[in-house]
Amino acid sequence: MTTRRATERRRRRRAKRAASRPDRGSLVGHSKATPYVLSAPAILAVSVLLAFPVVYAVWGSLYDTEFIGGPGRFVGFQQYVDLFQDPKFLWSMSRTFVFVFGVLILGMTLGLVFGFALHQVTGGMRFLRGVTIVPYLVSGIATAVIFRLILNQNFGQVNRFLEFLGIPAQAWFSDPNLAMLASILAQVWADLPLAVLLILGGLQLMDPQLLDAAEVDGATGWKRAWRISIPLITPQISLSTILLSYQALTSLGVIIALTGGGPVDATRTLTIALYETAFVDLETNEALAIVVVILLFNALLTLGYVGLSRRYNLDEQ
Amino acid sequence: MSAQTRSRSQRTPGERFVAAVRRRLRRTGIWVVLAFLAVWTIFPILLTLSISFKTRADVSADPGFIPSNPTLQGYASVLAQEGFRSAFINSLVVGLGTSVLTLALAVPAAYAFVRFRFRGRHLLLLFTLLPRLIPGLGLMVPLYRLAVWLGAIDQLLTLIVAFTGTVLPLAVWLLVGFFQHVPRELEEAAMVDGAALPKRVRYVVLPLALPAMITIGVLAFREAWNEFNLVLALTSSPGSRTLPYELFLMTQTTGFQNNPGQAAFAIMTIIPFIFVYLRIERFVVGGITSGAVK
Repeated sequence: MTTRRATERRRRRRAKRAASRPDRGSLVGHSKATPYVLSAPAILAVSVLLAFPVVYAVWGSLYDTEFIGGPGRFVGFQQYVDLFQDPKFLWSMSRTFVFVFGVLILGMTLGLVFGFALHQVTGGMRFLRGVTIVPYLVSGIATAVIFRLILNQNFGQVNRFLEFLGIPAQAWFSDPNLAMLASILAQVWADLPLAVLLILGGLQLMDPQLLDAAEVDGATGWKRAWRISIPLITPQISLSTILLSYQALTSLGVIIALTGGGPVDATRTLTIALYETAFVDLETNEALAIVVVILLFNALLTLGYVGLSRRYNLDEQ
Repeated sequence: MSAQTRSRSQRTPGERFVAAVRRRLRRTGIWVVLAFLAVWTIFPILLTLSISFKTRADVSADPGFIPSNPTLQGYASVLAQEGFRSAFINSLVVGLGTSVLTLALAVPAAYAFVRFRFRGRHLLLLFTLLPRLIPGLGLMVPLYRLAVWLGAIDQLLTLIVAFTGTVLPLAVWLLVGFFQHVPRELEEAAMVDGAALPKRVRYVVLPLALPAMITIGVLAFREAWNEFNLVLALTSSPGSRTLPYELFLMTQTTGFQNNPGQAAFAIMTIIPFIFVYLRIERFVVGGITSGAVK
């Protein structure tokens, strides 16, 4: 029965594709060069501005320069060998993992909770959906300034609130663990809109009859969420996870303006290490090796992303 | 709906009571979450707004949310900075320039990808993956070297070109999705009437694609307005920086900090944008999610 239905579905899809094929053809009556002329500038710009840097980074990371502006000497993978023996670099890697992991845990928890709540909202409170986007409009630096002010040890409102609850005021930026927490909070604040919108979008695509059926069968709200809604929005949950990891992995502005990598390097993530190596120590070749390491992590995430979009046909949504 | 009512009438009074309590609890729960959502999103900005209207001393001395001695000193101190004024103008120029250049490159390319079959169409796939593979952070050092080599450091045009490169893939993608929904019959009709390609695009395609172009214009502007990494890499002199870099420098000053000034600076970079956004929220929300998915 199922196989027959599958064959039938495949047949229909093939027929549909065949029917739409003539539609995909070129417009008639134009010169052959037209599409090339139209698309060349964009393709050229993207190759020069996005593809060239990657090639340059890989190539440059294989060289070493004795002094700034001096001639490069081919050293193979020596830069990478040095990096992975440098305790400071390894420390930065571990800080990056803590940071990304923290952003994921807090971001996905809030993303799901807010997404589910917004899904229930009707009528005049719908403006809350618009409000959710606001942090997306704020630059990373402005986010950091805002969090420096509200987390300030002396006058920050967060500490006032903690004191109101009977908890002593915290030194957010001189305690290593709290500084990491502050960075995670600011990063999540900035990127939560993406996760919330994706999850909300997934919930809205859901067939409400499934939930009604579950209610008839006596499933409570929690059970319905866990057993039905969450499995149905798995694609959106996975996608938000990957997007939040991207943002956290490559976040420079938020951390550099919030903690500057301190105190005692507690928030010195790979991005801060890259900044210092390239623009403070002026070690371009070593910095390019760090770029390549970050690009590799990024590529891993992209593999996950491609796998997901294949599996769930995200492009067709 | 009918299934629900049937099941309700079959319940005993006890069960009905439990169900009612559950519903009440659920409603309360949702309201608590929504209140937290509003606090989480808006409070940080409101508190910053409040600090921006306080005097320096009052930031610690006057804990109230409404400043007891409201003052514009914070704003005045920022506006008096030469750096802020030039950065504001630079941000505007770079933002508008990036929007225009992005549209100028993305519209023809997207149109070609949708309407023509040609070798190179498969490059479209690359456009989806490149921005995922290559974050702006990875561009900092290579583009800095390239700009040094070209002698293009400290020029607004360099920033515009660099930002356009980072927004272009997303812009092409959004436009491709949009052009696919412009019925080709419309264009063919115009063609039969003798309209050549430039005319068809001008009078048929572009008017229909206007909402998508506004979305892309705003997203490109946002990218340029908020970008920090590339500004850090590609500028070195005070006159060529944009707002985020200038704000970053303000946070790095040591000594007695001008907290109301920093708050005012942050607010002034956010507020103009929120007004633009409120007018076109509909487009942007769709743009963000489809951009994230694609």
